[in-house]
Amino acid sequence: MELEAVPLSREQTLHIALGMGKALLKNGAETSRVEDTISRFCHTHGYHDIHVFVTPTVIILGDEESEGATIISRIRYRSTNLSVISAVNDFSYNLKRWPLNYEETLSYLEELRHKAPPYGKWRVCMASAISSAAFSAMLGGNSHDFIAAFITGGLSMVLLKQMGGYRPSAFWENALSGAAIGALAIFCCEMDGECTRTNIIVGALMPFLPGVAFTNGLRDYMAGDLISGNSRIAEAMLFATSIAIGLAFSLLVWYHWGWKLWA
Amino acid sequence: MGINYFTAFGFAFIATAAFGILFQAPRKSLPVSGFIGAVGWVVYCYIRKDLAYDSFYAMFFATVALSLLSELAARVFKQPVTIFVIPGIIPIVPGLGMYRGMAAIIENNYDTGMNILITTGMDASAIALGMMLMTSVFRVIKISKDHERLLQLLHKENKE
Repeated sequence: MELEAVPLSREQTLHIALGMGKALLKNGAETSRVEDTISRFCHTHGYHDIHVFVTPTVIILGDEESEGATIISRIRYRSTNLSVISAVNDFSYNLKRWPLNYEETLSYLEELRHKAPPYGKWRVCMASAISSAAFSAMLGGNSHDFIAAFITGGLSMVLLKQMGGYRPSAFWENALSGAAIGALAIFCCEMDGECTRTNIIVGALMPFLPGVAFTNGLRDYMAGDLISGNSRIAEAMLFATSIAIGLAFSLLVWYHWGWKLWA
Repeated sequence: MGINYFTAFGFAFIATAAFGILFQAPRKSLPVSGFIGAVGWVVYCYIRKDLAYDSFYAMFFATVALSLLSELAARVFKQPVTIFVIPGIIPIVPGLGMYRGMAAIIENNYDTGMNILITTGMDASAIALGMMLMTSVFRVIKISKDHERLLQLLHKENKE
């Protein structure tokens, strides 16, 4: 049984398209890619009047008839998982030779959304430590900064991942990791006189900064997806603010009290 | 004045590959995206620091180089472009500028803050422009190829 063997009904097409869209959007694909994949899928199955509207938080699929079907999905939690995007891309390019039928395809997409990511928690923390260290070296740090940024970036990512189980709001999550980076950087500077605080902070912040979200927002603007451009840029600004608030908090506490906090 | 391009390349390679892990990229694509990100960073360093151009131009040309490589890699490895582009732009992406601007605004330095934020916006739009440019170029090539094939098919049918 293949997906192509029996022509899909309109509802089945909509459901598979929504499953693909959800898997893509939840794992950090751009808006235009999601819209493009969904409408290409609908066109290959012969439904040319299905319209799709995607913003970072919602997918709406429907057609132009008054009694037609419309389905909608609300996306709450988003992260970046490029291997799911790769898998959905494989699916959408191999549609002609796809071996599963309708139900199997739906459950495949469902499974794809709930599969554990290829790298576990500790590997992600290690990667964060390594990239922090490399960034502090790239932006002009010495070998002491390199090691300090390694520790700071790794430990703050560990903190973020441990906090993740409580599902805090993204604002407080980022503010907390900002505060942790500030505190650890101050601590490293106090321990080792050859460290520069800015270099450590700059390196350790890199994994948390929303630069890619900001750039993707501007790309959405240029592609004509105005609403998702707006919301992505607003999100990036919010995250940058929250990190800055967290860092400013720990630096402020240090300036005011210093080692007196211990005494 | 000398930047050591080898160390710059090496560190950018490590940073980008580590970001690939943070973004859960497939294992096979990690070295490729590391290479792409390192090339982008070296081009940026060359134009910004050696030639001393504005950061807008440096960002733009670095992004053009990097997305050209990503589009080629996407064709070679049969993966979506996103997988190579998102880790690849990490070294030049202006996240640090956003943080610095916001930190200045929190400390009541509104002038400095807005200055940094607007520069950041210009840098980010340079990156977006470069990526859109390469995407459109590759789309035009693909469409014209399809067009040629269509014309050939029509021609054959007419002959028969």
